[in-house]
Amino acid sequence: MTAGTLLDFLIITGLVWLAWQVVAGRELFRAIIMFIALGLAMAVAWARLGAPDLALAEAAIGAGLTGAMLLATYRRLLEHNPAKGGQRYARSSRLALPVAVMSSLLVMLLGLTLVNIMPVEGEVAGQQAIQLMQAVPMENPVTGVLLLWRGYDTLLEMSALVAAWLALRILQPQDAATLPPLSSSIPLLQALLAAAVPIAVLVGGYLLHAGGKAPGGAFQAGAVLAGAGVLLGLTGSLQRSTRASRLLRAGVVLGLIVFSVLGLGQLAFGQPAFAIPGLWTIYLVEGALTVSIALTLLLLFLGSAGVRRPAP
Amino acid sequence: MTASLTLYMLAASVLAGLGIYGVLIAGHLLRKLLALNLLGMAVLLMLITLGARGTGAPDPVTQAMVITGIIISISATSLALALLLALQRVTDETHLDAEPLPPVGEDGDAAGSR
Amino acid sequence: MIALDLAVVMLLVVGCGFYLAGTIGLLRFPDLHSRLHALTKADNVGLMLVCAAMALASRSVRVALLLLIVWALALLASTVSAYLIARHAHMARGYRT
Repeated sequence: MTAGTLLDFLIITGLVWLAWQVVAGRELFRAIIMFIALGLAMAVAWARLGAPDLALAEAAIGAGLTGAMLLATYRRLLEHNPAKGGQRYARSSRLALPVAVMSSLLVMLLGLTLVNIMPVEGEVAGQQAIQLMQAVPMENPVTGVLLLWRGYDTLLEMSALVAAWLALRILQPQDAATLPPLSSSIPLLQALLAAAVPIAVLVGGYLLHAGGKAPGGAFQAGAVLAGAGVLLGLTGSLQRSTRASRLLRAGVVLGLIVFSVLGLGQLAFGQPAFAIPGLWTIYLVEGALTVSIALTLLLLFLGSAGVRRPAP
Repeated sequence: MTASLTLYMLAASVLAGLGIYGVLIAGHLLRKLLALNLLGMAVLLMLITLGARGTGAPDPVTQAMVITGIIISISATSLALALLLALQRVTDETHLDAEPLPPVGEDGDAAGSR
Repeated sequence: MIALDLAVVMLLVVGCGFYLAGTIGLLRFPDLHSRLHALTKADNVGLMLVCAAMALASRSVRVALLLLIVWALALLASTVSAYLIARHAHMARGYRT
């Protein structure tokens, strides 16, 4: 057994143990914490599998922002009804165990069969994509694929984010119950904000710029910027609002509009739709997407249609 | 390389099984949501493991699909959380058809083990 | 070169020792404040040693500076979070030390 296999074995043991804790942990709060830890362990697994872009996205979005959302919702549920906070529920199902074991075995059978079939050289989608993208100097193939090869996917995932925000506008409580902020008079928190928000903006900008040749890109950058927004929201520097200002709404749909206009504009030049030409358009699209992703993720975390500055 | 890919595939199938088990036995809807997310993670892990076959870095097309998957799952999760909060506002409950368990003692057994 | 590699290994081993001590403390200490003490102090020193080992192993000033930033950010985050946890426990008064 080599050191690499040993490392893989440790990561996988951790993944399975954390997943078991998520499913069977005694307290809901503990299960949420274990879920966040599972996201981070998954990020390690993906870095190990050679996919640093995914590790970044998973750590920032899957573990960080999803975890913050889950914890905020847990707190809101408790605030609404503190008495039921400790109450536990379970469904008794005799079929649960056999169904789970059978489906696990099915996935195992399929997976182990597939993993031993080596892909045919030259017929791998990724290699064909990279060959077609030779014209554009894009050293990070993942960013290239997201924008040039699977533009529809990227457009539609942006649409999914915006759709979730639209649904939130309908579902939000109409009495504008604000999330009680942590007391903003905590001196150390202000120091953290003063240091962390500029750094987050810097890191976001770096990730966006680096996306062309190194791990990074619009989604990772947007997630980091949204993280700075989450900090501001938790400390009360940004407050929830049931109404979204015109500027905010414009920001949320900016990515969709820029990407759609540039993508469909290609039709006028006789090119296929979403065949984004040249490097400057890529930076334009990525920049617009970053703004929209950051704003939408922040609003999804806050669980409200808009944000406002706190009343002085 | 193949040996560790087999390991990751085994992990993905165990995670998928745990996710399905969690969805079926969870009473609290937040816990059901955690289990659904776990199931999603298992699928993404399986995709990346398949993309990592052969030599070099994993297939960029698979990686792009998994990034899409991560974004979609956070969109769906936030929508589900908003629905859960709305359900609690309307019905005052956080579960659908589950029965309450006795309060947890120091040595009470886990909800999942029954 | 061999002396440098030896230093890297030494730093890694000592750093992992600090992590181990911090984790044992987290698991075994009886109350919240001692656990926070074990977690923040030991783990920050452990991270510093591991970062120093990585910087030496990379033999590049750029990587060394990046690792320094990583360590500083981790320090900032653990300081504030430890303070917030301790403050919350203090405010709630539910926790007797």
